[in-house]
Amino acid sequence: MSGWRIMGNAARLRRAAWGFALAMVVLLAVAWPLGAQSPEGLLWQFGSTSRVQAVAITEDGRITAVGSRDNNLRVFDGSGELMWQFEAENSILGVDISPDGQWVAVASEDRFVYLLDGDGNLLWQFKAARPMNNAAVASDGSLVAATSNDLSVYALDQTGNLLWQEELGIGVQAVDIYGSSEKARVVLGSDDGLVTIYSREGRQLLQAGLDYNVRSVSVTQNGALILAGSIDGSAILLNGANGNELWRFEAEDTINSVALAGDGSSALVGSKDGSAYLLGADGTLRHQFRQDSEVLSVALAGDAGRLAVGTVAGASRTYDLASAMRGAERASAQQQRLFISIALLFTALVLAAVWAARNTAAGQQVWQRSSAGPFGVVQAVWSARLSYLLILPTLALLLTFNYYPAFSGLYHAFTDWSPGARTDWVGLSNFRFLMEDRFFLSGFRNAAILVVVSVAKTMTVPLLVAEFIFNLRNRLSQYWFRTLFVVPIVLPAVVEILVWNNIYDPAIGLLNESLKLVGLEEWTRVWYGDASVALGSIIFIGVPWVNAFALLIFYGGLISISNEIIDASLVDGASTWRRFWSIDLPLLMGQIKLLLILNFINAVQTFELVYLTTGGGPGAATYTPALELYYLAMRMDRMGVASAIGMILFFIILAGTIVNMRFVKSSTEYEA
Amino acid sequence: MVQARGGEGTGQAATVVTGETVDSGGGWPDSATRFVHKLGQLSSSQILMYVILIILLFITFVPIIYLVALSLKDNGQIYGRFWSMPNPYRWENFGLGSLAIWRPILNSILTSGSSTVATVVLASLSGYVFARHRFPGKEVIYTGILALLMIPPILTIIPAYVLILNMGLENTYWALILPWTSGGQVFALLLCRSFFATLPEEFFDAARIDGASELQSFAQIAVPLSAPILVTVAVVRLVTTYNQFMWPLVVISSPKRQVVAVALTQFTSEIGVTDLGPQMAGYILASIPLIVLFSFGMRHYVRGLTAGGLKA
Repeated sequence: MSGWRIMGNAARLRRAAWGFALAMVVLLAVAWPLGAQSPEGLLWQFGSTSRVQAVAITEDGRITAVGSRDNNLRVFDGSGELMWQFEAENSILGVDISPDGQWVAVASEDRFVYLLDGDGNLLWQFKAARPMNNAAVASDGSLVAATSNDLSVYALDQTGNLLWQEELGIGVQAVDIYGSSEKARVVLGSDDGLVTIYSREGRQLLQAGLDYNVRSVSVTQNGALILAGSIDGSAILLNGANGNELWRFEAEDTINSVALAGDGSSALVGSKDGSAYLLGADGTLRHQFRQDSEVLSVALAGDAGRLAVGTVAGASRTYDLASAMRGAERASAQQQRLFISIALLFTALVLAAVWAARNTAAGQQVWQRSSAGPFGVVQAVWSARLSYLLILPTLALLLTFNYYPAFSGLYHAFTDWSPGARTDWVGLSNFRFLMEDRFFLSGFRNAAILVVVSVAKTMTVPLLVAEFIFNLRNRLSQYWFRTLFVVPIVLPAVVEILVWNNIYDPAIGLLNESLKLVGLEEWTRVWYGDASVALGSIIFIGVPWVNAFALLIFYGGLISISNEIIDASLVDGASTWRRFWSIDLPLLMGQIKLLLILNFINAVQTFELVYLTTGGGPGAATYTPALELYYLAMRMDRMGVASAIGMILFFIILAGTIVNMRFVKSSTEYEA
Repeated sequence: MVQARGGEGTGQAATVVTGETVDSGGGWPDSATRFVHKLGQLSSSQILMYVILIILLFITFVPIIYLVALSLKDNGQIYGRFWSMPNPYRWENFGLGSLAIWRPILNSILTSGSSTVATVVLASLSGYVFARHRFPGKEVIYTGILALLMIPPILTIIPAYVLILNMGLENTYWALILPWTSGGQVFALLLCRSFFATLPEEFFDAARIDGASELQSFAQIAVPLSAPILVTVAVVRLVTTYNQFMWPLVVISSPKRQVVAVALTQFTSEIGVTDLGPQMAGYILASIPLIVLFSFGMRHYVRGLTAGGLKA
């Protein structure tokens, strides 16, 4: 009876496994055509070979100024047509354009700051001792501020007269202006982390200190909000009235440029990490514009909902905000479509179940009992409401914490996933990345080794010990050996690894000390630090590998072998050796099968063993896929690639389990 | 193997758990007693077996002996006289170690304990429903739950972490308790359903005739009769969750809420213990809950794992 139940469960589980595999295949087939998406919202782009070091855009988004290293300032209209061009003597390092597009300030490596009018005519130029690295112009052109590599800031009036100059004595390249005419104010960020507001006359009005060098500042037209980007990768919004921090956004690398919409309703942050981040008024990430290279400069036109990005590779791109956001929505719509497909899949499964109910003998009975027709089913469901209620908590938990993450993992394996920020479908590129990731590849090889070794360890020594104990003639010694061999199980798994870390300690570890004691000094080494022995050292942990669990299982299997069989073999004069091969081993197949699959599953997922010992090193010598998964997800925030690893391991385990259930015969099947 | 035992019609034979095979705490199986002979008549093969077993036993215990020895030394004794016995015995190491480790141990007991209780309650309830109730979709749902046995933790760990982040539960005990409760249910449900299905129908009929409600017959008949299987589930879950490493490492970052398995690895960096002795003492102290648990629950543990595995 119980034997039947075991069979029944195995069959059921096998069916569930096949069903699951089938569901996955259908899921992938459904998900495939969704394909990778093109960059959304791109209005136009201008590509050149030299880096774009400055971009500026008018508030209506109609005019974009692009300054690049080829000494040219190019001004484009809203559709990307070149309107006019201005050539300086050297690279253009900074550009600012007034909100109405009537004034353009240009800072160049040729040491000049230029003021141009809306048609590209030069109004005046002013020379400093060293290259000018950035410039800003007031909305009415009445004030121009320029920062220079001579560690000074210059303020000039409409006609190019120097109003004041301040020598800061420290690097400065972040400058912006708000207000107009007499009320114009200069906001300055410097390498000592200070953000300072100066009046038109050069008087310091406010100073706020940040922790790192300020690379870029941007201020709203009324001066209420100041956004500062610093080299540690944070963009910090300050209250323009008192310098208090309002929020902060962390990019992955140094921030090169920031821009605030004129009314402060949105912000744009360009970072060395290759992205321009669009932030909402509260500092939450609304969209990430990924570029092919480091973002040097960004500009934002709040009214028009446009933004411009300049990159190291020489591209300047202008995007339309609304359609970019729609693109993001479309991505999430793709996600919805996927979940709808899943729902359809389940519906199909349910329909299949109904079909089975109507067309099989057993199903027919059930069907008839529930009194034919959909109404009968509803009635049956209603009358069983208590049953559903009682399993509801279980189901709710399982759906939330097991089913949902499983499907989420399988789906996100095909995405560039940064929770809270973006989920972009990237097709197979995560898998392509892994195929070239030497840590993953090395991990894969190591996992294969660990699987083989772990199975070998469990199948040999514990079985040997179990047979020996079983064959001892003294009952008391049997008892004591069995008990003592099992004692180490009380150590938490982590403690065993940590103790072995101490044994391997190169300075004062048991292993090296023992080698010295017996005069094998030349054999001592840094066990985890030597690529040729590191993996071996890890495998050696736990020697002589008398796994208590395996021992108990084998021993349990041995003592349950019926006396008659053993007696019969004794009568027939079989040797112990012969008995082992012909009786014990076949009858232990159930146990062997169990340990085989448990070891396989655990070894494929090996994590602690390497995380706590070598951490994957030296180099990539002892990586495992699970370790790479952990590093990718937790240290590099590459959840999509991590999910892809999870998916690969899942399919490996699934395949192994099916093979094990299908092809390794167990004793139950022997007898059945 | 199972059929061989099927004939024994004792009350316990109702256990479908095949791990019964290791049930040797009580009487000794006949097959073993037949081999009992006088000690003096040891053959050479017997002596060989004794020798090999003793050698293996010794090597197995070397790390434990090493652990205990180091836990009683101070740094001077370790570096200066590596091979000598602890002299004097530094019992205060255990005091220092416990200062660093008591909080994580309590965290572990709290999270493991509460998730285990929840698992047992939920799994026994739904196991009872699946075993004794008839309702549309029962087998489909049950198969759907069993299919989760096929999902390895490595697939779900990252999405589950993101889920916990989205729920705002990162760095709370809930981040451990909820997923552990949920995850443990699959295997527990399997055991409970199998067990409940073997309980004689007559008990429940009698209860119904006496006017007991469904919940009453669950609480007053099914649960008391299935105490052994529930203890098995509890022991397996306690041991499993106490040993969990990767999940707490991912979702818990505050040392105040960290569980012992992870806290032990952060002895030096987080807790500031640099001496080897107190560290080793901490390792031993961290084992105490497991020692207590195994001292009465070993049989249940092995039975549970064997059963869960053989069925799958």
